[in-house]
Amino acid sequence: MAASSLKSEQRKFIVLFLTPALATILVFTTIPALTTLSYAFFKWDGFVRGGFAGFENFKRLFSFPFRGQFLLALQHNILVFVAVMILQTSIGILIAYSLFQLKRRQRFFRTVTFLPVIFSLVVVGYMWQVLLDPYYGPINRVITNLGFESLAKPWLGSMSTALPTLVFINLWRWVGFPAIIFLSGLNAINQEFIEAARIDGASEGQIFRKIMFPLLAPSMTIISVLTFIGAFEWFDLPFVIGGSNGNPAGATDTLALMFYRLSFGSVDSNANEIGIGSSLGVLIFVIVGVGAGIGQHLLRKREVDQ
Amino acid sequence: MKIASRRLRGLVAAAIAVSAIAVPAISALPANAATAELTFWSWRTEDKAFYEGQIAKFQAKNPDISVKFTAYLNTEYNAILSTALTAGKGPDILQLRPYGGMANLSDAGYFMPLTVKDLPALSKLSAGILAGAQGYKDKKQYGYPYAISAMGVFYNPEMLLAAGVKALPTTWDQLLNAFKKVKAAGMLPLGNAGGNGPALEQLHASVGPTFYGGTQFFNDLVAGRKTFTDPAYVASLKAVKDLVPYMPPGFEGIDYNTARALFANGKAAFYIGGNYELGYFRSLNPSLSAGWFAPVAKSSGSPKYVSTWADGAFSINSKTTQKAAALKFANFLASREFGQALVDEIAFISTAPLVSITDPVVKKINANRTSLGTPFLNVVGFRYETPTSSNILQPGFQKLIIGATTPEQLAKDVQAAVASWYAPQKGKS
Repeated sequence: MAASSLKSEQRKFIVLFLTPALATILVFTTIPALTTLSYAFFKWDGFVRGGFAGFENFKRLFSFPFRGQFLLALQHNILVFVAVMILQTSIGILIAYSLFQLKRRQRFFRTVTFLPVIFSLVVVGYMWQVLLDPYYGPINRVITNLGFESLAKPWLGSMSTALPTLVFINLWRWVGFPAIIFLSGLNAINQEFIEAARIDGASEGQIFRKIMFPLLAPSMTIISVLTFIGAFEWFDLPFVIGGSNGNPAGATDTLALMFYRLSFGSVDSNANEIGIGSSLGVLIFVIVGVGAGIGQHLLRKREVDQ
Repeated sequence: MKIASRRLRGLVAAAIAVSAIAVPAISALPANAATAELTFWSWRTEDKAFYEGQIAKFQAKNPDISVKFTAYLNTEYNAILSTALTAGKGPDILQLRPYGGMANLSDAGYFMPLTVKDLPALSKLSAGILAGAQGYKDKKQYGYPYAISAMGVFYNPEMLLAAGVKALPTTWDQLLNAFKKVKAAGMLPLGNAGGNGPALEQLHASVGPTFYGGTQFFNDLVAGRKTFTDPAYVASLKAVKDLVPYMPPGFEGIDYNTARALFANGKAAFYIGGNYELGYFRSLNPSLSAGWFAPVAKSSGSPKYVSTWADGAFSINSKTTQKAAALKFANFLASREFGQALVDEIAFISTAPLVSITDPVVKKINANRTSLGTPFLNVVGFRYETPTSSNILQPGFQKLIIGATTPEQLAKDVQAAVASWYAPQKGKS
């Protein structure tokens, strides 16, 4: 009797504590997601909803000229995911390992590493635009003064270099985040394992490869899943730098930018396509949801208990 | 506990001190402080100082109304405005893109239809200009078109003199020869660059009409008698590509502001674009002596054209709670006084009648616009549904100038895009 009243008492608190979070998710995530899903199946005339359209919007998304834009944007999202995963994660681990090994001033360097993460994105975007300006930017000036004039490029304006440059800026700004996650993962490793390995004569490299890296799996799961979601919903930095059209000529276009452009219009047309935009929104939702789900499932499997 | 209570006491003391200062300050405000607060949005970040000056003049006469001006980046203005309006927000008064640029918003009922009774100045505008701010479907008037824009060629007389260009070019060959001379003299011929799609579209609207045949071709295209794949239109696209050798180094990545600054600061001899650039050039460099001539003819004896259109209107949000104040301000924006300021201060061509133009450059632009005017093809004709011709052309020009597409392919893409929604072009390639 006493136990069940305790349970009902607990239940009350569980409901009480969960309600605000669930209500927020319901109002700001679930309802908009369902609304978008419904929008995708209606005809739209500007901002006025018409009759039921079936899969017509999806069909139009996969026909000229949207098909080309969609495939290009998807390709960019995939490239960004691969590049960020390889570069940001490996550099993040290296930084975390270096910080972990630091005997003095670890706190100072930890702050320095994390500092760009808390900078305003708009400020970061503007700062790099100024630094990389083809005419007045100091980066090209340094390159030219060093005698490599042919390497002084319009980094953000050339179709071939714009996306890699954005990935680089993202790396600069965001690498502190995986580094701190990995550092906390390293700190969570039971020191006895490392000491035991040392006594057995393992080198530092072996300790890192055979003990630390496998035990970092939980951190790796978090970073991989967050990177995947971030890469396929990438909007903020490309928007700040290349605008909603993915300037130049769609070279920095992403699925999220295309969604925004179709739904709300852009400089070359205010005539928007809410139906096609919503069908793209649904696709992004499916890609991110399924991808993150599978990724998490697979990565969790390789985590080991300490 | 002690610390907490001490802090609390400190806070209370601070609050009393603040209210002691604030209360007399509030009561010291004049009795006739603004009763209506209007918000006013624009894409002309360049003209912020101008609009704020005009608002100050308006407020001096109407102390009961205050107006807050906000300008957004031109490339993002449409999306920002749509997002705000669809969320049930947005400004009381706004700048409206011309023709199809905002027609879907007016069709959706976001703007207040204006009558001559609301805004008597509307009665003084011609039908062609009024069309710039009418609904696509209901043809009601949703804005007061305040400016007429015209495309042309700006030049720096001192640089031309230094390069030995003695006469202003009137044909395409002469123009390219002038560019060559400037280049040979070690100077940059053209400030225009490729970092901004809309600016390239405007470059084409300047040099293109003489190749495709101006108004006649526009009418044929609108009626479906000709298509974008017409050899004359393809030739007009190629003309843009022919200008690439004279653009600044790294042209594909140079943004709109840098391109304009190159001309304004005397680093480039020519800049091809809209008359609205003149005010910006002068704001960057007040000592600049810019000249202007109409876009050249494709060959001697063929006609010249100046692309022109009603560019921008002032409109009222249909959901404004300050209708009377908004109309009062709209009437001020439609006044001759404001029109004159547009001409005098930022070198625009006002639609308001009886506005006198004294600036010789603006005078010349206005005269040429009247005699050689042809509609800005994409803006006037094909922005009513997606994909618009501009959707394809803006990124298309960026690809064209770096050789990632050809004029023929670009023409085919535009045709396919417009034929997908524009009835007279349906089924045509």
